[in-house]
Amino acid sequence: MLDVEFAGLKLNNPTVLASGILGTTGAALLRVARNGAGAVVAKSCGIVPREGHPNPTVIEIEQGILNAVGLSNPGVEEFAKEIKIALQGGVPVIASVYGFRVEDYAAAARILADAGVAAIELNLSCPNVEKVGALFGADAELALEVVREVKRAVSLPVFAKLTANVGDIVEIAKACEEGGADGVTAINTLKAMAIDIRAKTPLLGNKVGGLSGPCIKPIALRCVYEIAQEVDIPVMGCGGVTTGKDAVEYLMAGAQAVQIGTGVLTRGLSVFRKVALEIQEFLEERGYSCVDDIVGLALK
Amino acid sequence: MHEMQVVKIKKIIKETKRIKTFILDLDVSAIPGQFVMVWLPGVDEKPMSVSYTKGDLGITVLRLGDFTRRLFELSPGDMLGIRGPMGRGFKVYGDKLLLVGGGVGVAPLAPLAEEALAEGKEVTAIIGAITKSELLFVDRIEKAGGRVLISTDDGSAGKKGFTTDVLRELLEEETFDQCFTCGPEIMMAKVLDITREKKIPTQASLHRYFKCGIGICGQCVLDGIGLRVCKEGPTFRDKELRKSPEFGRYWRNAAGQKIYFGGKK
Ligand SMILES: Cc1cc2nc3c(=O)[nH]c(=O)nc-3n(C[C@H](O)[C@H](O)[C@H](O)COP(=O)(O)OP(=O)(O)OC[C@H]3O[C@@H](n4cnc5c(N)ncnc54)[C@H](O)[C@@H]3O)c2cc1C
Ligand SMILES: Cc1cc2nc3c(=O)[nH]c(=O)nc-3n(C[C@H](O)[C@H](O)[C@H](O)COP(=O)(O)O)c2cc1C
Ligand code: FES
Repeated sequence: MLDVEFAGLKLNNPTVLASGILGTTGAALLRVARNGAGAVVAKSCGIVPREGHPNPTVIEIEQGILNAVGLSNPGVEEFAKEIKIALQGGVPVIASVYGFRVEDYAAAARILADAGVAAIELNLSCPNVEKVGALFGADAELALEVVREVKRAVSLPVFAKLTANVGDIVEIAKACEEGGADGVTAINTLKAMAIDIRAKTPLLGNKVGGLSGPCIKPIALRCVYEIAQEVDIPVMGCGGVTTGKDAVEYLMAGAQAVQIGTGVLTRGLSVFRKVALEIQEFLEERGYSCVDDIVGLALK
Repeated sequence: MHEMQVVKIKKIIKETKRIKTFILDLDVSAIPGQFVMVWLPGVDEKPMSVSYTKGDLGITVLRLGDFTRRLFELSPGDMLGIRGPMGRGFKVYGDKLLLVGGGVGVAPLAPLAEEALAEGKEVTAIIGAITKSELLFVDRIEKAGGRVLISTDDGSAGKKGFTTDVLRELLEEETFDQCFTCGPEIMMAKVLDITREKKIPTQASLHRYFKCGIGICGQCVLDGIGLRVCKEGPTFRDKELRKSPEFGRYWRNAAGQKIYFGGKK
């Protein structure tokens, strides 16, 4: 009943681990897969190693989580080995790639495709690293170009992960579709900050970062709702999913799967199993026979 | 939720030439083995074991690199950011306890000794350091009523050699209900090998590079077992660690690259 197909990927339930949450090693991805995620997205990876920003990189604030991890990763060659471990989990493993140039995306995607991932998610939207976010996810032409180059480089489904830190997210989604994207993920974190009033300084090592958790759900949901009406490729909803009800809202807004990040903190690693079960309970109670039955119900 | 609390340093104690204890104006209780994330605004934030767990919280720091050098420049009255205490502390169930600590690794073991002794348990601590003047918390544990055995690399106090040499000799004659260890990972791996032979259940407090400290970024996950050092740890059971090919062999730096202990593969 919970099975969904997302751009050709077969998921046993519509919950997917969001990029950057635990997905920094194969062992961590494997553990999430075994906790019931329908698919896992690995941490964003680039062509060369990166240490990321100084700590604090992730902090809890009243409204959610702020992070400025800064795209730390061991480089794609090293990371490909972690991907191979993650594949033992038996669920689709989606790699996430970022780049400072269009060709970086393609080069990283090629190596990860060889490692056996099921799809590539393009991080066009990291708010914490100058240029990666601002340049690609906020410019329709650049976004289109990245998608097109990566589609040329690999013969896998390619998803574009978008930022809401733009004037019109629908325009970017359409450009990605035109470039050949097989799906879109919406959204990445929202640019934000917090200041400690005793220390009189920003809390994050990078000063500004990205906000996630339930507080961004209304914004992310609106993005999904708008995008789903304008593109024909499937959408993964992402932002604040903590319960089955949150997931159902995204599905009704037109998403075909949901990603979960911060929910891992609030409900533990079993959040995937719990949310999947809560979706199932909802479907059964209302007499629906599958997830597809409710996708886009709110669009009509 | 672990919000950042910015608190005053109440007192600074010079323990050795390279180790200082910072007593904070923060009255929270912790379980020995738990850690706090210590933030120096504008510099960095790193995990430190809680070395004073009752009343005002304390941490005990070895001067190593840039972050700890900056910490050492602070004076009483200066501010530090603290998140925590967090993580899983040591779990005591036996009556006759053995502690094995190397260097600043004695920090989480000292409050464990004090609490166990206060409850009427028997505590033997093997404490090691490179030289006599770097031995940590020998007096503190003795004052609480514990027996302390010492090793130094240069033989300036106690047995010349490593804590594991003392451990081997001791276990020829005596046995214990439980063993707790913290220190250089190669030492802890050896401790686990020795106590396994003698069938003494052992818990070790691990050190990995931490970013989030709250179990969400994945930086500190152990290979083979998928456990997060900051969340399911930093203390682990011997049987958990034996399943990880990473324990005693390598750790990951800030970029996630594997760094092998002792430089070998
Ligand atoms: C759970 C936990 C508890 C800790 N408790 C304490 C404590 O009670 N007291 C204490 O002094 N420290 C403790 N640490 C270590 C502390 O967090 C810092 O890593 C250490 O103080 C070095 O910081 P630094 O910036 O001064 O040195 P850095 O500049 O980071 O490093 C100096 C040198 O130390 C070595 N080094 C640094 N980090 C590591 C590492 N992760 N593994 C192996 N070698 C490394 C490197 O060779 C480096 O060149 C703990 C760590 C963890 C994870
Ligand atoms: C600690 C942390 C690290 C993240 N790292 C990445 C990343 O590397 N790449 C990426 O595309 N998104 C990253 N994100 C964003 C998440 O994938 C997700 O889009 C966002 O957190 C919103 O979902 P949530 O509210 O369920 O957390 C990160 C989020 C957090 C909290
Ligand atoms: S430091 Fe982030 S998961 Fe442990």
